[in-house]
Amino acid sequence: MTQRSNDGSLSSSSSSLAPAPRAALASPRTTEATYEFLAFEVSGDRMGLPLGSVKEILKLAPITPVPRAPGEVLGILSVRGRITTVICLRTKLGMVPPRGASRSARILLVDRGHEILGLRVDAVTEVLRLRASEIEPADAIGAGLAEHVTGLGRPNSAGGNVVSGGEVIVLLDPVALLR
Amino acid sequence: MSDEADRVRDEFLAESQEIVESLSRDLLLLDHGQKHGRADPDLVNSVFRGVHTLKGIAGMFGYRELSEIAHVLEDLLDHLRLGRVQLAQSSLDVLFEGVEVLQRLLGAIRGEVHEVDIASFRRSATALFGATAAPVTDPLAAYDLDPSMLGVLTEYEEHRLRTNAEMRVPLYRLRVRFALSSIDTDLDGLKSRLKPVAEIITYLPSVESSGDDTIELEVLLASATPLSDLRQLVGDAPIDAIATRDRPSRTMPPPPAGSGGGMVAPSVAPPAMRTGEGEGRDLAPRDAGAEAIAVRAVAKTVRVDISKLDHLMNVIGELGIVRSAVGRVLDRLGARSDLRPITAELHRIHRSFERHLEALQDGVLDVRMVPLGQTFDRLARAVRQVAREHEKEVRLVVNGGDTEIDKLIVEELIDPLLHLIRNAVGHGIESRDQRARIGKDPTGIIALNAYQKGNHVVIEVEDDGAGIDAQRVLARAVERKLLDIQSARDLDDQEIKQLVFLPGFSTADEVTDLSGRGVGLDVVRTNIGRLGGVIDLHSTTGIGTKFTLTLPITLAILSALVMRVGNHTFAIPLTVVQEALFLDPNAIRVVDGREMITLRGQSLPVVRLAELFRTGDPPRQRGYVVVTSLGQRRLGIVVDALEGQQDIVTKALGPSLASVRGFAGATDLGDQRVVLVLDAPSLLDEVLSADTRVASSSSHDLARGGPS
Amino acid sequence: MLDRVLVVDDSNAIRAFVRASLEGSGRARTVVEAASGFEALRMLPRERFDVAIVDINMPDIHGLEVIKLIRASKAHHAVPVLAISSEGASRDRERALALGADGWLDKPFTSELLASAIEDVLGKRAKQGTP
Repeated sequence: MTQRSNDGSLSSSSSSLAPAPRAALASPRTTEATYEFLAFEVSGDRMGLPLGSVKEILKLAPITPVPRAPGEVLGILSVRGRITTVICLRTKLGMVPPRGASRSARILLVDRGHEILGLRVDAVTEVLRLRASEIEPADAIGAGLAEHVTGLGRPNSAGGNVVSGGEVIVLLDPVALLR
Repeated sequence: MSDEADRVRDEFLAESQEIVESLSRDLLLLDHGQKHGRADPDLVNSVFRGVHTLKGIAGMFGYRELSEIAHVLEDLLDHLRLGRVQLAQSSLDVLFEGVEVLQRLLGAIRGEVHEVDIASFRRSATALFGATAAPVTDPLAAYDLDPSMLGVLTEYEEHRLRTNAEMRVPLYRLRVRFALSSIDTDLDGLKSRLKPVAEIITYLPSVESSGDDTIELEVLLASATPLSDLRQLVGDAPIDAIATRDRPSRTMPPPPAGSGGGMVAPSVAPPAMRTGEGEGRDLAPRDAGAEAIAVRAVAKTVRVDISKLDHLMNVIGELGIVRSAVGRVLDRLGARSDLRPITAELHRIHRSFERHLEALQDGVLDVRMVPLGQTFDRLARAVRQVAREHEKEVRLVVNGGDTEIDKLIVEELIDPLLHLIRNAVGHGIESRDQRARIGKDPTGIIALNAYQKGNHVVIEVEDDGAGIDAQRVLARAVERKLLDIQSARDLDDQEIKQLVFLPGFSTADEVTDLSGRGVGLDVVRTNIGRLGGVIDLHSTTGIGTKFTLTLPITLAILSALVMRVGNHTFAIPLTVVQEALFLDPNAIRVVDGREMITLRGQSLPVVRLAELFRTGDPPRQRGYVVVTSLGQRRLGIVVDALEGQQDIVTKALGPSLASVRGFAGATDLGDQRVVLVLDAPSLLDEVLSADTRVASSSSHDLARGGPS
Repeated sequence: MLDRVLVVDDSNAIRAFVRASLEGSGRARTVVEAASGFEALRMLPRERFDVAIVDINMPDIHGLEVIKLIRASKAHHAVPVLAISSEGASRDRERALALGADGWLDKPFTSELLASAIEDVLGKRAKQGTP
């Protein structure tokens, strides 16, 4: 079920990714429906964004810090002439800020409507295709999840058997995250 | 298809705006003409045609109110051009009011204005329609005119023919042949030659004798000039008088001397256009001899969305980066003696590339430039209107309307300039009686001057009014706790007058003799500052007041000083940099908790960028002071090192950084470095106003580093 | 479907509107634009079109003259002509019809009104053509 993809091919600076269905996770129509996510690591946790919301994956380039900007703002960089604000996903999610440069770190360009933002993540791991039955929507789980989490993905859990100890991917809502 | 619909709608908005602007210009010319007793019937017809088109397209795009107002104006203008209503100051007032309403309705469509009152304009128009003139009997019978020709005249042309016939102006038929390819310019040439002495009623393309590439036009003229003189003007084109059927036409008096300017009135201007209330208000825009022609000569243009030009500018910026990269490769090649011939060749190519790139950059910048004239026309309308409201007599003198400036700057300039103009008319110029009492000419003068000065455009708004009373300004500033009496003592008169720019000096809820309506001068200064410009004030009691605006010519490319603080690099536009000097750590004094240095005998507040931005870099002993100045205010910015000067294209920061103060944007320096561009006006405001509000030590904010 | 339609009007917006509504609805393959009487004069000898839409109120060479020239030309004398101008200009309307316009359409108009006015002038010409 899981489609592992070579990191190198994804991180080429202009990989254009096919749009994923923008359907709401809360209402999977059939068990056959599948959704694509870009999976990445943030401070050791695995997370995912709908593949369609990610415009581009960049290697970490020099980022110019902006004094007085909110703490989660790493700074700005120029993407083909456009000044783009880069946000550190670790800081944004209240985790320990990264130390120094990392070879695997990537910047995801995410469109939040009127602006394209860069999101720094520690590493991009794969493109995940999840069936609806492999996704637990946030409202089914109940309390305790931040509003920018749309649900949890449990690959290979189809059929309702939750494999204990199986990996869990936190699925993020780009709109709520970047509000 | 919806893209197409948007495009058509944009076309509509752009065309409507152009129409309204040219209406405005034509009305000002008419106003001028009316006051001098020679209003040009062509102008009335051109205004008519403008509102007629506007009515049509507004209706088509479903803008009912716009269409209605244009309709009311069209009716009024139809009456005017057909001679049923006389052109007078009262009818011009209604026309001006109507154009103002159109302007606002367009603003509402673009979402810039919320409510537009159209009722009061309707009332003015209805009131004016009360008086209509009696119909006239047909005088055309007196002329031997071809009935088939009469059949092709529009109603307006027929009216003009009739008006001339009533006055017994001789009619002529002129035959000209033009190449189809150059007919526009050929006809313009003919028009400008004939206009001073004759009125052209119509051009009738003649069907029979037209070849494939040329066409014969039959031109119907009315003129009091003798046939022999007309013959000289038209060269070898055949011209004949049209015979009259009854008594011979009596000769018209020769045209008044000096009416040959091309703008108005062939000698045959009808009485309807000549009379008026003649209230003696002289608000001549500028004497616009050639302008009426120029206004019509702007046809060969395209409209371009300015964002497309920004895109081109970005591409040019990228090319600049390529240029530097090639330059660096060349430097490396320079060390290789074995490659010398090929390096030399690459050098030549590189230089040629540089030259062309510069030409391209100049070209794109040039496209963004618009003359200030259009803006000045709007201001002329405002002067007229405000003067009438205040019952003052004001003459507006305009110089340098052809000075060009970035289109984006022009748009942002209108409001500040309107504010200054309103102030000047409303509060600067004294009433007629008062002026007479003190021996001034009862007509006040407002001068608008524009000229280019290096990379800047200077605009002056000058009035010959009462000037600003320093003592009253001081009293008010103290009353408003903008400064204390102690520091006030150190200020000279000109410094005191600068206090009118302070936030809080005037407020929106009050109208005083010194401030304008609504916003205060502090807003004007802030808006000008946002454009990278400065505003200065010089006023002499009893003689007048002059505001001087100094603006960059363009926002697209700036020369900037690149400087370093710790690991951070910043750029600051050179337009605000007065000088940069080595910092002598021993020269720093602390006054009222603020670091100051003395520069050529004057105190200069300084701020360390590392501290202001909390960059976390350790304070250094050595460094540089970049002296920035905006108008009268100066601030020294302390940095670690200067990297040099560079042309930059400032790009906006994303909306996510909108709340971060102190930066105008960022720029790509080319060597993979993005640096922040400092927003000097906002930094000066931040640093300097922090202590003007506490009325303890404010002198350095107000004056050129006044003694402290 | 009409192959070529000529529109003579000094308003960019009107020409764009006519073009969008005729080409967009598939009523015409190509809309040829003339922005002034001059341009129309220049086009007449070398253009071919199935319908001409002519604005009356234009500077210098106005619509009545353009209509007269169309009617007088060998190539176009039988082309259906639709005159457009503002409501109320009744004198100009009479004259346009007298000079040979086949129909009249008041501004402002909608795409539907334009389409039906074009149908009308085409119908009128067709009748004249088959006595």
